[in-house]
Amino acid sequence: MLTREAALQLVLRRLAALGRELGKPDLERADEQTRLFGEASALDSIGLVTLIADLEEDVRQATGRDVVLADEKAMSRLTSPFRRAGLLADHLVATLAETSR
Amino acid sequence: MPLALVTGSSRGLGRALAERLLAAGWTVHGFARQPGGWTHPAYVEHAVDVGDPAAVRSAVAALTASGATIDLLVNNAGVAAMNALLLTPPAVAAELMRVNYLGTFHCLQAVGKAMVRARQGRILNVTTVAVPLSLEGEAAYVASKAAVEALTKVAARELGPHGIVVAAVGLGPVDTRLTRAVGAAQLERLNRDIGRPAGTTLAEAADFLFRQALDPALVGGSVHYLAEFP
Repeated sequence: MLTREAALQLVLRRLAALGRELGKPDLERADEQTRLFGEASALDSIGLVTLIADLEEDVRQATGRDVVLADEKAMSRLTSPFRRAGLLADHLVATLAETSR
Repeated sequence: MPLALVTGSSRGLGRALAERLLAAGWTVHGFARQPGGWTHPAYVEHAVDVGDPAAVRSAVAALTASGATIDLLVNNAGVAAMNALLLTPPAVAAELMRVNYLGTFHCLQAVGKAMVRARQGRILNVTTVAVPLSLEGEAAYVASKAAVEALTKVAARELGPHGIVVAAVGLGPVDTRLTRAVGAAQLERLNRDIGRPAGTTLAEAADFLFRQALDPALVGGSVHYLAEFP
C-alpha cells in the first residue's frame, strides 16, 4: 500500500525526471497544484502518456503491484485525475486500494 | 542480445518467424494459447490468450519485471474464417475481432507502454492482402484486419514521438492452419491476383516479415504487402 504522501512523491519525482529529460525546468519544481494537461500545462499529450507509462512502472517497483492508471473509471470522471499532480496522487492511492480488494 | 515478442508463436508463421529471429541471435518470447511443443535455449513461451487484456498485461509485466526491454513486437496471432457475409454467424465475427483486432490492441497497449518507458521499440502488425483486395467471402476477417491496419496508422502517429516505429505487413495465403479452410480454386485465384501464382511458402513469408521487422528504413504507419498488385 502507498500513503497519499508517498504517492505524491512518486508523481513529483517522476515529473522532475521528465522535466530534466524534456528540458522543462518548471517540472522539476512541480507541486500538487501543477497542471498536467490542458491550458498552462507543462506537459503536452506525449509528455502525459510518458508520465503515465513511467509512473505505472514506478508503482510496480514501489509496491510490486501492476496498476492501470488510465482505466475506464478514470477516463469517465467529471474531474480528470490527470488534471493536476495532486489529483493524480489521489487517483493512484484509490486505484491501489481498489485493486487490493 | 535483442529481444522480440512474437504472438501466435506456437506454430505456423509465428513459429517460423520466431525461429528466424532465434537463428539471427535474438532472444524470443512467444505468446500462444496452446503449447507449441518446440523449444530453443533462447525461446520462452508464455500461455497467453491475446484477446484477454489482463493476461496480456500480466505476461508483459512479468517479462519486463527483470528490467528486460522489448525491442520488437510482432502481432501475428490471428484466426480466420471464410464465410459469405450473410452466412457469417455473429459469434464468428465477434471472435475474429476479439483475436485479430483486440488481440493486437491489447498487446500494442501493454508492450507500447513498456516501449515508451524504454523510449524505443518497433512493432509490426500482421495483416492480409485481402484488405486492399476487399476479398469477397471473407468479410468479417477482412474487416478485423482492416481495423488492424487503421490501428497501425494511428499508433504510428501516437507512438512515433516516443521513438517507436509501428508498421504493418500484409501477406497473401501461406500454407498454414489458417488457410486450410480456403478452397483450392479460391487460393489459386487469390495467388494469381496478387502476382504470386506459385503461392507463398512459410519460409518466404517468415523471411519477408523478418526483413521488414529489421529494415532500418521502415516507416511508421506504412503497410507493406507481399504482393504485386496490378
